[in-house]
Amino acid sequence: MNQIFSRFLKRATFWIALVVAIGLLGGPLAGDAPAAKKKPLRFGVADPLTGPAAIFGKDQMQAVRWAVEDINAKGGVNGHPLEAIILDHQAKPEVGIAVVNRFVHVEKVPVYITAFSNVVKAVAPIANREKVLMLSVGANAPAIARLGDYVYTTFPLADVDMNALGKYAFQKMGKRRAAVLHVNHETGRDGAKVFSNSFKKAGGKVVVFESYEQERSDFTGLVLKVKAANPDIIHIHSVIRDFTAVVAQMRQLGVKTQITSYQTAFNPKMIQQLGKGAEGIIVTALAPSVEDNKNLPAYIERWKKAYKRMPIGLPYTQYFYDAPYIVAALYKWVLDKKLPITGENMRKALVAIKTFEQPLTNTVTINDDHTVKKPVYFWQVKGGKFTLIGSQKD
Amino acid sequence: MEYILTVMVLIGINVILATSFNLILGYGGLMSVAHPIFYAIGAYCSGLLAIHLQIPVPLSILMGAGIAMVLSFGVSLPSLRVSGDYLVIASIGFQLGILHVINNLEFTGAAGGLTNIPVLNEGPSRSLVFVLLIAVVAACAVLLVGWIVEGDYGRAITAMRNDEEAFSALGRNAMNIKIVLFAIGSGMAGLAGALYAHYFAYVTPEQFGIFTSAALLTMVVVGGAATTWGPLVGAVLLTTLPQAITFLGLPVSIMAPLQGVIYTTLVIFFLFARPQGLMGGTRGGGGLEAWSASAAFRARRDAE
Amino acid sequence: MLTWGILGQLLWTGFAAATYYCLFAVAFSLVLKVNKIWNFAQAGVMVFAYYSLLVAFRHWGLPLVPALVFGLLITLAVSLALERYAFMVFRDRNSSILTLFIFTIVFSEFSVYLTELAFGTEPQTLYPSLLWPVDLYGGIAISHWDLVALTVTAVLMLILYLFINRTRYGQYLIAVADNENLAEIYGISRKRAYGVSISIAAVLITAGMYLFGTKAALFPSTPLQHLLIFAVIATILAGIGNVFRAGIAAIALSLIQAFSILVIASKWQALLAYILIFVVIIFFPRGFALPRKLSGLVRPSGRSAAVAVADATRD
Repeated sequence: MNQIFSRFLKRATFWIALVVAIGLLGGPLAGDAPAAKKKPLRFGVADPLTGPAAIFGKDQMQAVRWAVEDINAKGGVNGHPLEAIILDHQAKPEVGIAVVNRFVHVEKVPVYITAFSNVVKAVAPIANREKVLMLSVGANAPAIARLGDYVYTTFPLADVDMNALGKYAFQKMGKRRAAVLHVNHETGRDGAKVFSNSFKKAGGKVVVFESYEQERSDFTGLVLKVKAANPDIIHIHSVIRDFTAVVAQMRQLGVKTQITSYQTAFNPKMIQQLGKGAEGIIVTALAPSVEDNKNLPAYIERWKKAYKRMPIGLPYTQYFYDAPYIVAALYKWVLDKKLPITGENMRKALVAIKTFEQPLTNTVTINDDHTVKKPVYFWQVKGGKFTLIGSQKD
Repeated sequence: MEYILTVMVLIGINVILATSFNLILGYGGLMSVAHPIFYAIGAYCSGLLAIHLQIPVPLSILMGAGIAMVLSFGVSLPSLRVSGDYLVIASIGFQLGILHVINNLEFTGAAGGLTNIPVLNEGPSRSLVFVLLIAVVAACAVLLVGWIVEGDYGRAITAMRNDEEAFSALGRNAMNIKIVLFAIGSGMAGLAGALYAHYFAYVTPEQFGIFTSAALLTMVVVGGAATTWGPLVGAVLLTTLPQAITFLGLPVSIMAPLQGVIYTTLVIFFLFARPQGLMGGTRGGGGLEAWSASAAFRARRDAE
Repeated sequence: MLTWGILGQLLWTGFAAATYYCLFAVAFSLVLKVNKIWNFAQAGVMVFAYYSLLVAFRHWGLPLVPALVFGLLITLAVSLALERYAFMVFRDRNSSILTLFIFTIVFSEFSVYLTELAFGTEPQTLYPSLLWPVDLYGGIAISHWDLVALTVTAVLMLILYLFINRTRYGQYLIAVADNENLAEIYGISRKRAYGVSISIAAVLITAGMYLFGTKAALFPSTPLQHLLIFAVIATILAGIGNVFRAGIAAIALSLIQAFSILVIASKWQALLAYILIFVVIIFFPRGFALPRKLSGLVRPSGRSAAVAVADATRD
């Protein structure tokens, strides 16, 4: 027994020591903060940089970086540079929890930004427990408004644009029979429900309401079910690739019905992949168009110059560009009032300031019930491009 | 500090999972890979009971473990009928089937997961307290399994694993042993799941799929199957390794896949270089290769 | 709801879409039969096949045939390397099934991470557009993709059938599948047979991934999480050792799933598959029984059969 135990001890010690050594060696190697004249004001940003949603996350993070650069070029916040700590959460809740724990306990930031409804829901308890302010940008599950005192969204939740779309479909487009398809998770389900209820309330009928797994590739049965039900409008509450796949198969099977979706379908790549099949698709967007925002043309130019293309999910990137401006405003309020930089005080700042004039999304007002209301824009694919066809500015 | 405590909680949970899996797989020779589903059942049942029926958390944890134990019949009964490759596949079907149901029922939160699970303890030092609790539970798990496999009963288990036909021919009841091993192992996995749920306050179906099966298998095998300390070493190593990789200061956008590549390469290396596991000794002293005498192998040899 | 047009369309399109499932199932089943491995690493091979095709089509802009050849060469290389440097080693060591299970799953995971690292994680299609020309015949939409898929699959299956039953090498494969040591005594190289069988699988996989990628976009994790499971179920339903029946089983499964949309909600379709696995493997470990006359063409074989027989007679 002694022999076995001492052998165990030797081996276990070796391996554990090795792992700890890697960890310790790695620690100092992990990014050092650049030496700054004044202490940098830090905030965390968690978005998917890998995984299926990275196609959106990467462009969103570029927008954040540009915003931080622009703010610092103008002197930062009271002379302090702003610093974004960007980490990847892969749109996976458990990775999100690990990342946010790192923000809160290792990086010790008073505020962090994140996106994607499933991650937002998972990390909300941490914000409330540790009293760190959490800003959700882009996630739209209606439940986000009720996730706790320290959880706020700077982006309108699904009940804003989906309510508007339901009414628009009935009143302006004259549709009466809707088929609703959604991807089987938070965002899909909640968004689809809001649209469905809104359409029904306006007087329409929902003839199909079905979900599908995110990674499905063959939608034949689903498409045929929709075809048989004979709707005059099909709303697809999807993520990214699934939208393209469903629509492609619909068009291939001779389904020429009007298709609508929400902001994630505002994706130039989708038009490229669908070709003619994309004509007529209507999507909602919650960020102003060039007609309503004077900074937007320059922003789009910046993208074309740097990447020779439009950003993917343009409206989302507008909100992500503006998010550091909100953080900057919060820091300014706290510094001006000579309060310590804590999550609690950042939250006080948010509640006190309430209304923010933003470069790319105009005015954002954070209501007391944690919701945000913004005008809804309707875009339609015409001649291979997104064209603004209407808006609802309640 | 908090971060380290969180990692320690994860280590503790993985120790319980790996040890209980080792009981079924390493000692019992029962090739089910569905262990994560009992982890899931414990987590979800305990969470749902606490949320909807307002059952006090300690009680719901025990109930979660109990339900997992009962549902272990879902694999222990098939194991009475098929074994080897077939049992592996059957257990995969069981696992993925239940997972699919969890993934699609609104009641369990569907693909978005179960949120706002009441926590077991609150307060500034909750993590420290929880780490101590997990450490005690994990220690008990290791000792329990060690105790089960010692002595007469342990020898009976080994005999059943190595040659079930001869075992039955001698009048011993293999059925009872299989059912007991699955029940205890799955119950422990359920307990681990419930503890996880009431600490992290959030579970999602993605955590319990085939990748997790492979991860647990790896812990058992790399540590050394059918050894007492193997699963513990495997769990510690394979929980801390991915965390350690995140500190290597790699560019953020490639960190996740690079981490995956490093991790999987290491596992593959181990499978080739040291198949008996870290704690496994010479052949026969541990590791999956200890079953050389088992019926499956004899069937192969006989076919030659 | 149930018009003949709808049913006809379901049948046609479901059948066409089932073609790649058929190819994957036959590949999986063949490797199980001859190499005696539950090759979950096939998902990894599928990933390599797809991304090499992607590089050839999208990054290098190669025309169809050179691109396919390139994809095939990469897939062959990976498959043969797997067989020679992994499976052979484990076989020689008499490793347990679980060691193989872990290796094959982890290899597939490794492939997923590697391709994510190299290509990013954006979903990709092989051609820039997903739309193929569609013709209407009697109200049923027939896409050119459907025709290509059916032709490719039928041709490959025919070639495989002729190869196995009419050529010497095909017979060697059967011999090794039945009893590799006896086959070696008769001068048949077991190693070469393993190599041939996994190479055939590589051809089928490359074809299948080409078909898939021209119809839908792929994530690196799609093969492991979705495509492979079908192949596994089909193999089990058909009975181990029945390669062509596995292909038919895959098509049948796909059709069942497609038609089940008429009776159950879309989200429960996959559950059918899992329940099937569970029920079939436990109650019909040798696959669904065929009437005596037909079963002569499709006998189970090899060690797995010996175990299956032992299991069946044990009860």
